[in-house]
Amino acid sequence: MKTIALYSIKGGVGKTAAAVNLSYLSSRFSPPTLLCDLDPQGASSYYFRISASKKYNSDKFLKGNKKIYSNIKATDFENLDLLPSDFSYRNLDIELAEEKKPQKKLKKNIEELSNDYQFLFFDSPPNLTLLSESLFAASDIILVPLIPTTLSIRTFMQLKDFFEANKLNSSKIHPFFSMVEKQKKLHRDIINEFRNTPGFLTQTIPYNSEVEKMGIYRAPINAVHPNSPASKAYLHLWEELTELQR
Amino acid sequence: MRTTPKTEYFRLSNAAEVETLLEQILPVGWKLESLEVSKEQKEFYDTFEWQAFDNKIAIVKKQAFLFLVDLITGRETHSVPFQKNCPSFLATSLPSSPLKEKLYSCSNIRAFSKLCTLDTRIYSYHILDDNDKTLAILTAESFCLQRSESQEPFMHLFALSPLRGYEDEIAPISQFLSVQKRSESLMDFREIFLLIMHEARQNIKGYSAKIQLKLNPDATIHESALQLLQHTLSVMRLNENGIKKDIDSEFLHDYRVAIRRTRSIMKQLMGIFLEKESRYFLTLFRELGKKTNDLRDRDVYLLREESYFNSLPPYLQPSLRPFFENIAESRKDFYKRLCRYLSSIDYQLSLNEWETFLNQQSLQNAELTLQGSRSTKIVATESIKKAWKKVIRHGRQISRETTDTELHALRIDCKKLRYLLEFFASIFQPETITPVIRQLKELQENLGAFVDFAVQLRFLHEQLESMASDKLLAASIGGLMATLFQKQEEARLKFHKTFASFDHEETSQLFHDLLTGCSP
Repeated sequence: MKTIALYSIKGGVGKTAAAVNLSYLSSRFSPPTLLCDLDPQGASSYYFRISASKKYNSDKFLKGNKKIYSNIKATDFENLDLLPSDFSYRNLDIELAEEKKPQKKLKKNIEELSNDYQFLFFDSPPNLTLLSESLFAASDIILVPLIPTTLSIRTFMQLKDFFEANKLNSSKIHPFFSMVEKQKKLHRDIINEFRNTPGFLTQTIPYNSEVEKMGIYRAPINAVHPNSPASKAYLHLWEELTELQR
Repeated sequence: MRTTPKTEYFRLSNAAEVETLLEQILPVGWKLESLEVSKEQKEFYDTFEWQAFDNKIAIVKKQAFLFLVDLITGRETHSVPFQKNCPSFLATSLPSSPLKEKLYSCSNIRAFSKLCTLDTRIYSYHILDDNDKTLAILTAESFCLQRSESQEPFMHLFALSPLRGYEDEIAPISQFLSVQKRSESLMDFREIFLLIMHEARQNIKGYSAKIQLKLNPDATIHESALQLLQHTLSVMRLNENGIKKDIDSEFLHDYRVAIRRTRSIMKQLMGIFLEKESRYFLTLFRELGKKTNDLRDRDVYLLREESYFNSLPPYLQPSLRPFFENIAESRKDFYKRLCRYLSSIDYQLSLNEWETFLNQQSLQNAELTLQGSRSTKIVATESIKKAWKKVIRHGRQISRETTDTELHALRIDCKKLRYLLEFFASIFQPETITPVIRQLKELQENLGAFVDFAVQLRFLHEQLESMASDKLLAASIGGLMATLFQKQEEARLKFHKTFASFDHEETSQLFHDLLTGCSP
């Protein structure tokens, strides 16, 4: 099982849209796939019209394997399952601090799933906490969506610094440009500046109103409008991602 | 394993009913979303002995694919593209795939034949909650049997499959459907399979070449022998069609075993019918058996084709191809010849004559002979004892050289004993007869292998003598003969050890227990 985290310190960068569409593509081309929604806002879960059972909470999540197992739900798409988030996840990092080896907790908790899925995607909350550290250890690839703006680039640099300071494996990090508006000169300049930086993916995701509408039709754009420019961009991003693993 | 919740099946009297029924039970805000109606043709396959069914598998062909369906869960577990529209196929003819492996392990020798063709019409629905999230898929399938008199569907089947994580939400609906008066809840896909086969008039497990008679130990041997002979006759008749249609080589094999059993019992229980009659029918079956020899020989060589190829170095293998092509070619002639005979009036009359003979036998006939009126258990004990002693006596006489003739003869003695044990098995306790058969089987395997190698060597030798000067083929045949000879010698060497374990106090005790356990 390959684990891929969609991660960004900054919010509103297209993390969830990428998690939803890439996990959908993965379920089509390398089934089966699990999407694990770690964000207490539960946007991924919302997109798939799934809410967690009343009995499910962060406690159960931290207990791991069996508890996780019984709370996985099928999406409306074949071979794509989802572990929904719960509002109680907002305290995950505090609860995690009480565990023995918090950084390794997430990796350990998903061990048993490795025979069941070819791909596991994490959609994560926008911050840098103990949960993020646990997520870094559990992921084979950390995909970081970046809006081509100075602020976005700055948060990315912060992440790099954090990896170096904590002696983490920064080769896992693969940024890609998201919500790109080609007509903006700043976007074009930043993309040109960084596109050849090692680790950066070349495929960019355009800003597209169809992506925003995902909140209305509540399904991956690749499932509803497979021929839209954004869908095609996600498809190429998925292809680049599979290349990365070779 | 990533699990999907179990599908539940229901039968309703008609397909339209489900919507009305579900309207009563769906919680507020939930709805039934109807998807398109599809038509599908399904063909079911299995071997003559239902070996896929025995392995809890249904083989279904639909939309140019062959699927394996788990009989318990109803889930499709394997598939391969399958364009052919054929009445039967062998596992070896399928493209390399896990499905092929699976069917090969069910049977590597029997063909999978078409059992029936169904035309189905499938209505699918999604059960949606108030968020329009799909919680379960409901399919309503109407089954119509092709080529049946009635074109009305014989079954409306509903399958309710909750999506993972929604079993609890769907449980009340499934509960509701199962308690409806007009609905019948079915346990699993196996039950549906049984219903389909019943409708298609396919008798599941209706055939077994094995003897499954229930003899009465106190009945006369005349009566018991008739029971067996009627059974072997029915096995012959049941296999005729498969031989004629050339479905697989096992039909002829079972047919021949039935002839051998018939002859063996008649000979060993000589005296239960009038001598003149016995002699007449023994000749008839001997001649019939002979007519099948050539075809069976070719079948056996063709079955060995792969192992012959594998025992030669790759550069010699191609030379064997024309050799096997010749065998296949001559097989065609023998096949046609046998089919012609099986369809002849001559053959029909002979078998009818035999059948009439068996049916006309009565108590008076039993009393006409000395043997016939004796009780089954006495004759069983005596004849088994006699055959067993014969095996021991002949086995002990086998010289250190262990000649081919000696081993050939002993093999036949063993076979006779085996047929008697199998024939009378039902009058003994299973715990006394099973170990005896097991011991005998070991000896038979050794002798069988030996004779088998001898026959192959003889055949190859004949080929060598008759063939034109083809250096590579001669080398191949030489290579094969060397291997076979080596194996034959190994079997020969093993014989004395194997026989010693059969001619042992322990085996003797087993026979003793068996024969005294039943004696009056």
